[in-house]
Amino acid sequence: MDIGLIIAGVLTLAIYTFLYKDNPIYKAAESLLIGLSIGYALVIYWQTTLVDRLLTPLFARGELLMIIPLVLGLLMFTRFSNRLSWLSRIPIALMIGAGAGVAIPAMLYARTLKQISASVMPLMDGGGFNVEALVVIVGLLSTLAYFYFSREHKGAMGITAKIGTYFLMIFFGATFGYTVMSRMSTFIGRIDFLLTDFLRILA
Amino acid sequence: MNRLKTRWIIFGGLFLIVTLSYLTNIRFKSVASPEIQKSYDYLDSLPEGSVIMVSFDHEASSLPEIQPLALVVLRHAFKNNLKIIGVSLFAEGTAIGYRLLSQTAREYDKTYGVDYVFLGFKPQQISAILGMGESIAHVFPEDYLGTPTDEIPIMMNIVNYDQIEMVISIADGALAVHWIEYVGGQYHQNIMTALTAAMITTYDPYLASGQLYSVIGGLKGAAEYENLLGQPGGGNRGMLAQTSAHVYVIVLIVIGNILYFRGRKNGKA
Repeated sequence: MDIGLIIAGVLTLAIYTFLYKDNPIYKAAESLLIGLSIGYALVIYWQTTLVDRLLTPLFARGELLMIIPLVLGLLMFTRFSNRLSWLSRIPIALMIGAGAGVAIPAMLYARTLKQISASVMPLMDGGGFNVEALVVIVGLLSTLAYFYFSREHKGAMGITAKIGTYFLMIFFGATFGYTVMSRMSTFIGRIDFLLTDFLRILA
Repeated sequence: MNRLKTRWIIFGGLFLIVTLSYLTNIRFKSVASPEIQKSYDYLDSLPEGSVIMVSFDHEASSLPEIQPLALVVLRHAFKNNLKIIGVSLFAEGTAIGYRLLSQTAREYDKTYGVDYVFLGFKPQQISAILGMGESIAHVFPEDYLGTPTDEIPIMMNIVNYDQIEMVISIADGALAVHWIEYVGGQYHQNIMTALTAAMITTYDPYLASGQLYSVIGGLKGAAEYENLLGQPGGGNRGMLAQTSAHVYVIVLIVIGNILYFRGRKNGKA
């Protein structure tokens, strides 16, 4: 049998020993997972960021403009010095400025404008009364009312906010249901692996 | 009954139910939901030789759920002779993406560099996504194996998203949102996602507003797609186990509630 399959099978079983109780076998498997994940990510980031984007262009191809990101990157480490830490604000300001500049228009369009336009539906369409549009309107307004805290939730406002909580509960319930489904799928996937590839009970 | 004993019964029961479901030969026939049908029809409608980009934006820990999803998409694409450009915007998805792509390519006798390519991982997802809108070769000067991108046959006529029919993000988190917001929003590219079930509700608003073309969600989505493709795989194998496990959870919830209300009535809760 492939050595990789044996390691994967043994580690899967080691993780599941936690169901009995916290134990050294589980702890060893957990530490291995965390260590490997961090180690793998570190190697990938080292290669794809520092080597490919900075060291190779600067030292192998002589692209002197790369000195700018190198200096900006090094300035980040001035955080460790009380006297020089103010210098780290330069790359941080650049990152925040560029990040916000890129993200704000895209997010405003995708998360606000497009969502608003998708919420505006005609109540009457060609086929008659549009029930879906009514549910969207009631759900949207009542949920917004629940999050409107400048007025006390009493009377009509209280009733609307209460309806809003039901819509929220439906959303949370659906999300929780999907999450349970997802975790079950992960468990089922591991059982599939154990029975098919590791123990070879199933063809 | 002490806590440890209850825990053993609950998890032991779940283990037994899932294992027995696998050992029995009963298979569920999942009927494709409109969303899955839409995803399938779109990929099926693309002419041979069309190029799609598949991004492996997930962690290794979600592989049991992600793998059947990724395989149905890749199998369908290769079956219809579509060309695939694989990328990863999540470090952990890199090696998995390459393995799944190579494994599926072998099934369909596809050639690396001609029918598919894996460009590897790029950090800073947003800048990578936006950069590819100008030039893919500039963002990925080399592929995963170190070959210069402009020397790879499949990449010869590919400059940016304009030459790509669709981007499919295989994701277990919110990373596909970047594809929707930046590539969908700014470059008007069709975006499809293959998601773990836990993420479906996060993407529903994008689906409802038309920003996202379609979603293949969870093990059930994979099973439905496998049936349309006529190639039952991991999704179908897991359907009986998933249904049994869900029934088991519902029964436990009902028992838990009965015990709670009985205890409350007796003044114990």
